This record gives sequence, C-alpha cells and structure tokens, in this order.
Amino acid sequence: MNQFLLKKDNKELHAFPHIIEFALRKTNTIQFDSLKKEASEFLRFYYVLDGRFDWIINNEHHILYPEDLAIILPGQSFGGEKDLLDIGTVSWLHLELQQLEKTGNMAMGKWSHLADSECRTIGKILMLNNCPILSKIKEAGSIFQCMQNEFINQEIGYTARINQLIDELFILSARQLTRQNNSRRDFPQTFMKLEQALRENLSHQWTVEEMAALVGLGTTAFSEKVKSYTGFSPLNYLINIRISEAIKLLKRPDVHVTDIALDIGFYSSQHFATTFKKLTGYTPSEFRKKNIPTTD
Amino acid sequence: MDCVITIEIGTGAIRVVAFDLKGNMLGSSKGSYPTFHVKPDYSEQDPEQIFITMLYILKNFLNEKIHPRKYKVVCICFSSAMHSVLPIDKNGVPLGYAMVWSDNRAKKEADDLKNSSLGKSLYKTTGTPIHAMSPLNKITWLKNNDKQRFNAAQKFLSIKTYIIQQLTGEYIVDYSMASATGMLNIRTIKWEENALKHAGIEKEKLADLVSVFYAPKKLKKEYQTSLGLHDKVKLLVGSSDGCMATLGAGVWGDGKATVTLEESGAVRVVGKEVLQDEKQRLFNYLLTEDHYISGGPTNNAGAVFEWYAKQFGDFKKAFDLEDCIENLIADAAKVAPGSDGLIFLPYLQGERAPMWNANARGVYFGLNIKHEQQHFVRATIEGILYAIYSIGKTLEEHRSFKRLSANGTFASYPFWTQLMADVFNKPVHIKQGSGSDSVAFGSFLLSATEIGLYKNLDEAAETVKLPDSFTPSKELHSVYMKHYSIFERLSVKLFDEFEAIADLQQDN
Repeated sequence: MNQFLLKKDNKELHAFPHIIEFALRKTNTIQFDSLKKEASEFLRFYYVLDGRFDWIINNEHHILYPEDLAIILPGQSFGGEKDLLDIGTVSWLHLELQQLEKTGNMAMGKWSHLADSECRTIGKILMLNNCPILSKIKEAGSIFQCMQNEFINQEIGYTARINQLIDELFILSARQLTRQNNSRRDFPQTFMKLEQALRENLSHQWTVEEMAALVGLGTTAFSEKVKSYTGFSPLNYLINIRISEAIKLLKRPDVHVTDIALDIGFYSSQHFATTFKKLTGYTPSEFRKKNIPTTD
Repeated sequence: MDCVITIEIGTGAIRVVAFDLKGNMLGSSKGSYPTFHVKPDYSEQDPEQIFITMLYILKNFLNEKIHPRKYKVVCICFSSAMHSVLPIDKNGVPLGYAMVWSDNRAKKEADDLKNSSLGKSLYKTTGTPIHAMSPLNKITWLKNNDKQRFNAAQKFLSIKTYIIQQLTGEYIVDYSMASATGMLNIRTIKWEENALKHAGIEKEKLADLVSVFYAPKKLKKEYQTSLGLHDKVKLLVGSSDGCMATLGAGVWGDGKATVTLEESGAVRVVGKEVLQDEKQRLFNYLLTEDHYISGGPTNNAGAVFEWYAKQFGDFKKAFDLEDCIENLIADAAKVAPGSDGLIFLPYLQGERAPMWNANARGVYFGLNIKHEQQHFVRATIEGILYAIYSIGKTLEEHRSFKRLSANGTFASYPFWTQLMADVFNKPVHIKQGSGSDSVAFGSFLLSATEIGLYKNLDEAAETVKLPDSFTPSKELHSVYMKHYSIFERLSVKLFDEFEAIADLQQDN
C-alpha cells in the first residue's frame, strides 16, 4: 500500500481521540506547498522509509534519510525546506498529549499505560533534546508498520494494540535519545553533561529515575556508577551541588535566605536549614552573619 | 586508639584516608567534583563545591569508620594538587572559580617571561620552570586580561589555602606549595620580590608562609561539633600531592627516584641540593629547610592511554573503562617489545618536561602494512613510558639513581611496571596492599614525624621498604633503546611542525 491517511474525523479514529493524524505517503512527483512550514500544538513523529528529505525543524535545517525519525515538539515549526514534500516515502503520527510543558512535565492521557513518573522522565528527555532527530532507528519503522496493519485489519483488541504501539514508540525514542547522546564509553564526560542539566535546573525536584534516564542507564547501574565515580549516591551528589550553590548565595547579601532554599531545590527553608546545619554546623543565617561583615 | 587522617585535595576528587599510628590503613573515602572548561585552555573548579565535598566526605567517613570504632583523631594532614589560583575579595569571598593546575590560559605570559632575562634569573631563585600553569603566570594573566578581578582581589590563594582558611580562619601556605607558585625564593624562603613585581602584587596579596609542619591554632567550633572532633586535634597544613607521593614512596636519600603514573606523571628525586638545570627543565620544590624534591612532570601519562581506550577500546559493558583497559593491556602483551617498529609520541596535551613545549602533539611513526590494532595499543604504552624515561634521563644528568619506586593508578598494572623496569634498565619497586596510596602515606609519615613517632623525615622515610618487585631485562632494554633513540630524535626534529600544526588547530 503506497498511500494511507487517517485524520481526526475518520471513523477509524473515533476510538483514538488522542490521534490527530496517521499516514503513510509515497511521493512520486513534487507538488508545491505539499509540506508548508508551520507550527502546531501537537507532538509529531515523522519516519522516513525511502528517499532524502530536506526539512526545517524548529528553524534548523536537517536532512533525513531512510530509517531516520524526527520528533517535532508542540509549538515547534516544521516543514519542507522548499515547503514541499520531497520524493520518497514517509510515515507520520500527530498526537495530542494531555500535557507537555517546557519543563518537560508530560502527561499522555488515560489511553497510555506508562506510569506518570515515566511520562515525566520521557518528557524531560524530549525537552532537553529540544529538536530530536533519531538516526538509523529501524525499530520505529516496524512500529509504524504494525500500527498501519492494525488499522487496516481491525482484528480483536486492535485499539489496545495501537495504544501499546504508541507507548512503545515513546519508550524507544527516549532510550535511543539517551544512547545517541552518550557514547557509553566516557562516564566522566557523560556525567558532566548530567551535572550541567542538574545545575541548569537546580530547583527541579530531580528523581534518580530521571537522572538515570538522561544518562541512558537503568537506575541500579546508574547509582552504582555514580557512587564509584563521585563517592556519592546520585541524590547526595545533588545535595552537594545544592549546598555549594547555597554557600555562594549566602555570601551575597542581596539574596534572601528563603529564596535561596527554593531556588536551589529544597522544598522549604526548614528543609534547607536542617540539611545545611547538619553538614556545616551552621544554620544558613549564622553562616551568612559569619561571612558578611555588617558594616559596609 | 589514636589515628591520623590525611586529606588529599586532588585534581578531581577529595581523598580521605585514616591510618593507625603504626601506619596501617584503617579505611578511605573519596568524593569527586567537576572541572569546568568554559573555553579551550581554561580549567576551573568551584572552591565552594570542593569545600563542601571535603566536609561531606570527611563527616561521613568519621561517622561511619572512625567514631563507631572509638578511634581518636590526633592529627589531620592536608595535601593538594599544585598550581591553583583563587582570587578572593575583601570579605574573603571567592571571585569566581579557581583556576586549577591544568589551566593553560597564561601561555603567552609564560612564553614572554621565559625568554626574558628576568625569566632566567627567576628560575635560579625560585627553582621552578616558567610555564603557563605556574601561579606566577596565572596571576600575571589576570593582571593583563581580567583587570576587574585582579583589582578586586584582596588575596590570591591556592585551593588548599582556601579550604584551610574556611576551617580555621587562617590564610597560610606551606613552603612546598609556595615553591610551586614560581614566586618563592627557595634559598631565602621568602616571596621573591622580582616575581611579585612582575605579577604586579605585594606580598600581602599572598597567604602567610609556613612550614609543612605548621598547625593552625584551632578548628572552628562549628566544625568541631559537626565533625565530632575535639579541640586538641592537630590540623597540619601539610604539603603538595607530588611531594607527599615522593615521601610516601620512600625514595629518600641517594640512588632512588620515584615515578608517578596518574593521568599526568612525574619522575622525582629528593636531595639536599637544588638541581640547577641550564635549560630550565626541572623543578625544585622545597619540602623542609633541608629537603628539595626535584624532578620533571609530564602531561601525557594515564590520560593518553584513557584517551586511546575511549576511542578505540571495546566497551563490552557500558562505561566500564577499567575492563576495557585491562583487555587492551592483554592485547598489548601479544605484541613483541618495540611494537615491530611502531613508535608513538604521546604529546596529546603538549608537553612539560623535558621539552616544555605546549605545541607538541601526538604522532604514530613507522607504520607499515603489517601493523595491526594491537601494535597501536602496545606502541601507545611504550610511547608514554619513553616520555617518562626522557624525564628520567634529564634528571640523571644531575643525579644518578639505581632504582625506582612506582606509584599511581597506572603503576598498578604489572605490564606497565615491567615495561618501565625494562625501559629504564633499573629495578622498579611498587608498594602493595595497605598504604599503597603514596600521597596519603606520605602525609601519614609527615604527621607521624610531627607528633613525635619519628625523629625526622629521614627516619620516617626509612621505614618504607623498597624490595625490588620488577627486575629489568638487559636484552629488552637494548631493544627499547633502539626505538627510544628514534623517539628522542623525532621529539626534537618535529619542533617546527609541532608549532605549525598547533597554529592550524588554534585557528579551527
């Protein structure tokens, strides 16, 4: 089958309110304006089966080859470089998510079987990569192919199968993204990238699962690796960064102690004060008094 | 029971080790912190993160390993990587991050000074080669390029000075760390006026000079409480990691040298005289009034092999560098000594001793169609050790030694240590088991001397026994020397090409 297109109003999609569009298109002749650059509020996946595609995604030029997958985040613009669909074959899926915030907070909706925390981690990975292109990801092609077959045959259980396949597409993308970003050779380098992500977003309530996913390891392997490399458990390492940032802020008289606590990721100034005192022997206010002369 | 704690503020991690008074290791712990490279040639660390990491690790270590076993801490001794510079403002607050030892931004300042007559006379008085990493040039760089920070600085500290000040309130720097700044006159043991003038500072801008045995008056009350230490605990200012590795390896007195193989490496000897090298290739650090630690450092030891492993090794398990390295070494062992004529110059990060050329680069030389991957592995290790050997040879122009004591991560691989013995044609000793960490053990010996267990450092160092663990093979030595002579000539011959390629890389 060379052409296949389902849109929101088609009866095949009645059971799938979250699917906006699902298609497979083979293009033999170029048509102007067949893929205009535009933003949308949906999450879009585009998988290349055949041909070479010149696309502008989020104002960046990308060339995609067979087995490549582009993930276009809600709000990002996407279209052909010349506003047209190049010659070749491509599959796509447009999805409406319950939520995907800039911070990576993502919720799929009831149809998905991914746990809430997993959704948030996947969302974080997608947002951190900003404009993810996954190259050579054949498995995504199989998922698209299976989905199409399920739509065509509509055998018993097909709604459940299709929703499972979408979950699978998310899992595959998230895992592949972390692997693609990390060589799996150089832990110090990979850890440095994680450390930067932590520092850029210190007020976020990081979980070990999230951190491990960013590095592309399971939580157990990740915790062991971090412990042997840094001497700390992942969460203690994070506290370590938070307290060292706190010390810097406490030495600046213009920042309020309560603000410091929240800025660096403690959920209350009490929590901050306890942790700080346990480690240094000073409360944050005592520490500030000792380090900033009153007459200035 | 009494115990001694040593704290090493290393390049990327804090190491805390405890010893009983007989020198048996009771336990150890480490905590790492990142190095930031905001621009090429910049290497910086956050002093607050280092401080808090130290506190965190020390506190946990004491609570888990020392206090429950009823050990009483009598002495805490510091050691640290050299060459760091941290400007602080009038309130003692750090002005940004610290430049760490490997920060190379002061290349131009170093070149200008080195070729001047002032440079030559400074080498004579300070005993330290003029190079980009030395604090003298780093401070000069700040003066020339970062006026704001330079003018706002009340003092220029080392990271160790900052940590000790946070704990005790005193700004102090020991002789050995001070002599690595390039600003200490190692004969008068005073700051060298000409160096200070060149850097544009007064001596008040530096910490107070003290002996390595100096102990600040007290640990601040809050830290006594949070660490669970009594007020009588002696905090020893201690020394540098290099000096402590040398003491801990027991290469005191004549006829011995030590080789350290970490990411970077060094060959060092100890003596009562300064080695005055006409070509300014060797450093001389003052440990005490009558002990100089002299030698030469290399940028390209373990770091280069790790680079090779990360690029070309087989990572069967994700991120398992150790496993990868062990497999590579097993591959290297399959190739004949000399790697069938493949020679590697390991200068990936420029080189310090003996050539002191920041432009030097890596080279594989002599490739033919029969060379396989494992030849590269062996050639890489051989090349790293040839570079170590070239430092040893330079040292021997001034002082001969008959045996080596090896320490550091890469010295713990027998293949490397045996290769070292064969290349040098000298027996190599390596300490094993308890107290194998030379830096920590050196700090223990320093502490033990201070609390009266030994009369002096000479007596303390004598307790380190050096049985020959690896004996050299004469035949292999002559094989390696045939290759080494080509290695040595290439290192000199390529001077112009090194400069040209470094220029090209700079432009990219």
